[in-house]
Order: sequence, then C-alpha cells, then structure tokens
Amino acid sequence: MHDYNKLGFKAGLEIHQQLDTPKLFSGAPSFLRNDEPHYKIERRLHVVAGETGKIDEAVKHEATLGKTFVYEGYRDSISLVELDEEPPHKINQEALDVALTVALLLNCEIYPVTQVMRKTVIDGSNTSGFQRTALIARNGFVETSLGKVRIATICIEEDSARVILREKEKVVYRLDRLGIPLVEIATYPDLQNAEQVKECALKLGEILRACHVKRGLGTIRQDVNISISGHDRVEIKGFQDPKMMIETIDKEINRQLIDIKNNKKNGEVRNALPSGESEFLRPMPGASRMYPETDLNLLRIGLDKINQLKKNLPKLKTDIRDELRKKGLTDELIGLVLESHELLDEFELLLQIYPLDSPLVAKMVTLWRNEFATKRSKTFEEIKSILSERVYEQILEEVALNKINSKDVKFVLTKILDGEKLADALKIEKISDDEIEELVRKIIREKPGMRTNAYMGVLMTQFKGKLDANKAMEIINRVLNIK
Amino acid sequence: MVNFQFNSGDIVKFRLAREEIEARVLESPDNSVVLVKLNSGYNIGIPKENILDCVIVEKFKEESKKEIIPISKNKPSIGLIVTGGTIASKLDPKTGSAKPLTDVSEFAKFYPRLFEKVNVKKLSIPFMILSENMSSEHWITIAEHAKEMLNDSEIQGVIITHGSDTLHYTSSALSFFLRDLKKPVVLTFSQRSIDRASSDAEMNLDCAVTMALSNCAEVMIVGHATENDDYCFALRGTKVRKMHTSKRNTFKAINCSPIAKVWPDKIEFLEKYNARSEGLTKLDASFNEKVALLKFYPGQDSSILDYYLVQGYKGIIIEMSGLGHVAVGEVKYSWESALKRAIKQGLIVCAVPQTIYGRLNSKVYSSGRALEEIGVIFLEDMLPETAFVKLSWVLGHKNWKNLVREKMLENIVGEFNPLLNE
Repeated sequence: MHDYNKLGFKAGLEIHQQLDTPKLFSGAPSFLRNDEPHYKIERRLHVVAGETGKIDEAVKHEATLGKTFVYEGYRDSISLVELDEEPPHKINQEALDVALTVALLLNCEIYPVTQVMRKTVIDGSNTSGFQRTALIARNGFVETSLGKVRIATICIEEDSARVILREKEKVVYRLDRLGIPLVEIATYPDLQNAEQVKECALKLGEILRACHVKRGLGTIRQDVNISISGHDRVEIKGFQDPKMMIETIDKEINRQLIDIKNNKKNGEVRNALPSGESEFLRPMPGASRMYPETDLNLLRIGLDKINQLKKNLPKLKTDIRDELRKKGLTDELIGLVLESHELLDEFELLLQIYPLDSPLVAKMVTLWRNEFATKRSKTFEEIKSILSERVYEQILEEVALNKINSKDVKFVLTKILDGEKLADALKIEKISDDEIEELVRKIIREKPGMRTNAYMGVLMTQFKGKLDANKAMEIINRVLNIK
Repeated sequence: MVNFQFNSGDIVKFRLAREEIEARVLESPDNSVVLVKLNSGYNIGIPKENILDCVIVEKFKEESKKEIIPISKNKPSIGLIVTGGTIASKLDPKTGSAKPLTDVSEFAKFYPRLFEKVNVKKLSIPFMILSENMSSEHWITIAEHAKEMLNDSEIQGVIITHGSDTLHYTSSALSFFLRDLKKPVVLTFSQRSIDRASSDAEMNLDCAVTMALSNCAEVMIVGHATENDDYCFALRGTKVRKMHTSKRNTFKAINCSPIAKVWPDKIEFLEKYNARSEGLTKLDASFNEKVALLKFYPGQDSSILDYYLVQGYKGIIIEMSGLGHVAVGEVKYSWESALKRAIKQGLIVCAVPQTIYGRLNSKVYSSGRALEEIGVIFLEDMLPETAFVKLSWVLGHKNWKNLVREKMLENIVGEFNPLLNE
C-alpha cells in the first residue's frame, strides 16, 4: 500500500465503450465474426506530416514503413467505408444519440457545434491511416464515495480493426470491428487512490450499461492515466477487468518511483498485462496528429435533440431497484426482474396495463414461470413461449376491467398450461363475496360447531376449486367471529 | 455587439456565459459559427451568438521555409506537369479543407520518393484546378507543356498529375494531340487524399515513374490495378474510363487489356505497344468545340437535335442502346426524321455503345440498318468520351472536311480494338 497523498498521486480514467448500433460512418452491421473471411486485401501505410507540417511523436514511433497490412472482410457485412474505398457516410444518428445520452447521464455540457476529426494512427488498425473522432461534450461529473469525479471530455469515435495475426513483416486485421461506434469518457485527474479508480470505473460501467451499449468481453476498454509528483503522465491501456486495477496502479507507482530515481520522468503509453505489470507501447500522442475530416459537414447538436434525449434518459439499476422497492416488490422479486433487460421491459410494459398490483405482475413475469417450469419439468423459455407477454397482456386487461379477480390469475395460468385456450381459461365463474358469505352462513346454520378447516373443506367442494382459498378463509373467519 | 476582428490562424480568447476558451481560429464553413482548434487537437464550433467578448492573444504568422528540390545528375530525368486534383492538394491548417499544393518544393515535400528516384528536370504547373473544371483549352495547354518536355533529349518521359474525374478525357486528348510520340506520357491521380497514410497517390506516382522510364511510347493512365497496394495497371489513353466513384482501382481498360502491370521496380507487359524511339514529337491540337455528347434514353424527345443545330454544332456523339439503336420507324418518339434532317443539314452524327463494353453492329436489327442508311457513323467499340474528343479533334481539321467518316473509322491511337480481347 502506497501513501497516495504523500506521493502526489493523480489519476484519471479513460473509458471506451462500444455502442450497440450500426457502424458510425457506414451504417454497416456491427458484429464480430469468427467464420472464414470472404476476402483479403493488402495495403501499406506511409508517414505523412500533420496539419502543421510536424510529424507526431506517436506516429513516428508507429511508422512501420515496409510493413504489409492484410485486412480480412466479409461481403455481407463490410462496406467500402471500412475498406477505405469510399468517403464516410453521415454520422449514424442512433450512435450519436447513445453517446449524447451517456453525456447527459454524466451531467456534461454538450457542444452545440463540433467537427469530426481524423486522428492519425498508422499501426494499420485503421485502413485509412486515421481514426475518426469527435468531441461532443465536456465538464460533467460522476459521484463516488470520495466525492465527485469531474468528467473532462466525451467523444464519439470509430473502433479499430482487430488483430488476428502479428508477424514481423505483416499484420493481419479483421474489419468486423473497424467502425463500430465507441463512446470515450475521460475524467479529470481527480482520482485520489487506486481504490477510487476502481470504484469510479465500476460506476461509469453501470451508467454505460443503462444505455444502448454492447455487452461482453472486449466491448469496454479502460485506460488509466497515472502520475506522481515529479513524473509526467503515463497512460496504461487495455484493462479488461477492473479487479486488476489496484494492483496495476500500485506497480506503476513503483515503476515511476524508479524512473524518478534514475532521473527519468517521461510520459508514455503502456499496455496493461494480465499479471498486473505493464509494457511500453508508444510515446504520448500529441495534438499534431489531429486534423479535420474534410469529407463531412460540421456536426450540429441542437437543443431540441438534447431536450428530447433528456426526456427519455434511461434509469440506472440502482435507481430502478429503489423504484421497484417503492412499488412494493420484495428484494427477491426485484432480483428476479432485474435478471435481464427483457424481463424488466416486459415487467414495465405489463405494469402499464395493470398498475395496481406490481408484485402480481412481477410474479407472473418471473417467479411463477420458474415454478411452473420446475413442476412441469420444462425450461423457463418453454413456459415463456406458452405464457407469453401477449398472453399476459390479455389476462391483465381482463383483471384491469375487473372481469377476473387478480387472485385467480395463477389459476388461469395453470389452466392455460393444461392446454385450455386462453378464452376458455379466462371464463372463471364469478362468485360474488355476498354469494360466498350467504353460502357460508347456510353451511354453518346446517352444521354448527365445526372447526374452521372443516367448513373450508365443505365450501371448497361445493365450488369445485373455483373459489380462492384465501378469500374463503377470510369470509369464514369473519362470519364465525360475528357470531 | 462583439467585434469579430480576428483572422483565421489567430489565437483568440473567447468569453462565453460560463467559461473562457482560448484557441486557434480556423476558417469556418459556416458564417454563424467560429471554428476553433482546442489544445487537445479537437476542433469545435462556437455559435457567434454565444460569444460575449473576444480578444486576440496572438496573431497568425506565416511560416516561411523554402525547401529546394533536390537535383541529382546521376539519375534519369523526367518532366512533371502538375495540374491539380486530389493528388496535388494538401490540407490547409487555416481552413481545415484541401487546397492545391502551390509550388515545386511543396510537391517535393509530399513526394520525397519521386525526387529520390528521378531527377525532375522540368516541372510545370500550368494551372491548379479540379478536373471537372477543365475544358479543351486545358488539354491543349497540357499537350503544349508535354511536347516541350518530350522534345528535351535528356527527359526520358513525362508524368502528368491530374484530378481523376475527367482524366480519361485528357488522356484521349493527349493521345490524339501528340503526334509521332517517341516517349512515354503517363497520367496519374489519386482517389484518397494525400494527407492520409493510406493515400493511393504514393504508389500510383511510384509506378508512374517506372512507366515513364520504360520503353513504352504511349499515352497511358497509371493507377491501382486492384484494391490492394501491390501493383498498378498502365492503361491505354483512348481505351480507359473511370468506372467507380471512389475506389482506388477506378480506372479500367475497356474492350481491351491493360498495356502492362507495373510495380515500383518492374513492368510486366500484357499488350503490344509502340517502342521508344528517336525523333521529335509534333503537336496537332486542332479542336472544334461545337461537338456534343448525348445519351439516348427511352421516350427521349428528338427535338434536342434541333437545339444543337440552332446552336451551330457540327458533330454529335450519341450513346445508343444495345448494338446501336435509338427509336426509329412508326413509333411515338421516333428519331428517324429528326436525324435525317440534322444529317442533311451537315451535322456529323456518330453512334457509340452506352453499354460501354462491346462493339456496335448495325446489321442485326432493322433499327440499326435504318440508322446506318440515314448516315449515322457507327464507331464500333470506341468509348463515348474518346469518341467525343476524337470527333472534336477531327472536325478541328479544316483540311479533313471530306474525310470525317474515314478519319473517325481509322484506328489512329488504338481507339478501336478489332479483337475485343480483354
């Protein structure tokens, strides 16, 4: 454990998250493939001076003159934009909306006008020799237990092609990943210790997952910028797992301490290794590798758009949990409902039809399907295909119209699973409370002095299971007490 | 009112409602927005209405560093004509858009490899324009510059860099204009701007040099053969066409095979060609501008021909359907009488295939025979653009007045391919 305070420790996070939308500048489908590529093309890249005539340090390092890049593609999912054979199309609106939503959730100010830039990258991971990126927002914050962490910038950019094979003279890339939209979140160096870095990364991850982003390995990449007093900023890239952060950060501090001892203090970009160590990747890139994407107009983000997105901001899981609790769901039911986006969506939709009894709706969506599956030796999915969202909608409409009692819903479901048609299953003879009470009084008059359970038995036989047991018991108790 | 007195390139401090931004001002494509470059390198726009105040922090200083073209006597010499287009444009930091390279040293900076391989003995920049803005005057100017270079005994070949959009018109024009060609004339281009590491310009130019130093005394377009950065094709100037709006291998040999496959260091010839020889090249750039290129489509009103006659046109190339047809006979939109009238009044009417690929044949269908009878000249497998240039050139020769049909059907610079071998 280091004394972070004393070391003058400063850290900031940079998170890249893939969005679950078509590709950013081609609209091509954005999914990774492992089937045999349909074609390969071979290209070379050369160093070009930037806008200002300077060659960027990072670019110079990447300069791999003479290296051949092979790009693998698919006829049905790779477009000419990814092949660098066509100018970019208009920015994908869906992706922009997701990125703006992330910016709003992080309390950022959105730039009303911005420009798509080309960031020179010549390691071959971009067929064009640059990555398209646009700064869309700034000055936000995210809450952590040690206080607010300020968000410096939010960018929307293209993901790079993924490496399939790296040889001395040749690198093979696959184009499936190239152009998938990424949102890049960069915090200010407000993070005070390794623990807070991890907490902040997890918090940002939660906020991202509330939006339309991709899930699973490789869809989120975390970089950490670290410095201690006397050393320039070092960027460590490629954390897949926030669990490794604390160890990696502590090891980087040790490395920087040794650097300082040896009169070195240069910032650089390093690659996180699974061991918690890191390795040198390239020098820090500068501003001179950025220049405008001349094939696109300025990007305007109007107030109307922002207001519209603000109205439809997705909720975070922690917020949803609180809300569900308020609606009267037990923690067990909340857990079940939150198991998947689909179940949550179904729950929320059905609740709109019958808002009076959220536990009933939650049970229908989750618990009861589970129970039926176990009892009938079927899978949850098999049960769900019979007791579908559409079937539930119809049942709850009947409940809402008071045509059937909410207490009879489970019975209706049993009948449907037994093979009855929905319309037949919904035909529950409606017995009014008055009718039941009358019958209870009659039975008690005829056979006085029996125990409550015995009366119950008689009553249930008479109604042949059409009666809700709880309700019957309630009425019997009432009548007996009155007596 | 805020006084927007700064110029692009200046560093300016802007006061906004909630913050101050200090950044370099760029030329904005939108008058209501100030476009600036932040320290991070990102550009953003500030709507002018959001600016409360602004102060110039630093005025823009033009950097003046002259680079001199490296000259070496030990290398073979070429002539270079730069005419504009993507291949000779660079990104302007002030405007953020592509601007033409202005002088030789700039060209040398972007294409150092060219100047390493050869000695650019003569370099001329007659104009810097996009190729869609060219006309026959520009073709004639290029031809004049090329002729002068070709007739310099030290120069082994001429390279012309040019926008790609209408490059095949220029290559056709030079093919007809430069008579008795003794050395290679190579036109090249780029489809990807030269600011990017993936630009096709470098390899195209590299292969253009190989071709310019070769034994092949033809007018050729040299450019990417495939989507790969492996080799180029050298394509005959009269049988080549831009066939894709954006791909690197946009230029295709039509109705013939490329003359050669070209690498930066070798050539594999695929076709017969005129070999390099001694002697002077002559310029024959007579040109009649009263020639039109027209595409036939179903239901087209033939009275368009009357317009051309009234405007004093002398010749017209019609891209006809299939084997060479337009509507004729007793049909609503028949062209028969209009064509008869026009030809009778002296308009030269030539037919080319709008299919681009293949050869016309007037004998297969009655409409073809009818058109031939009326006097339409069927130009076999000639490309529409080549036919347009050739007819303008032929009609530019007063002494060929009675030889127009003969000249149009004479295979002068490989514009016909009797074998149609690809």
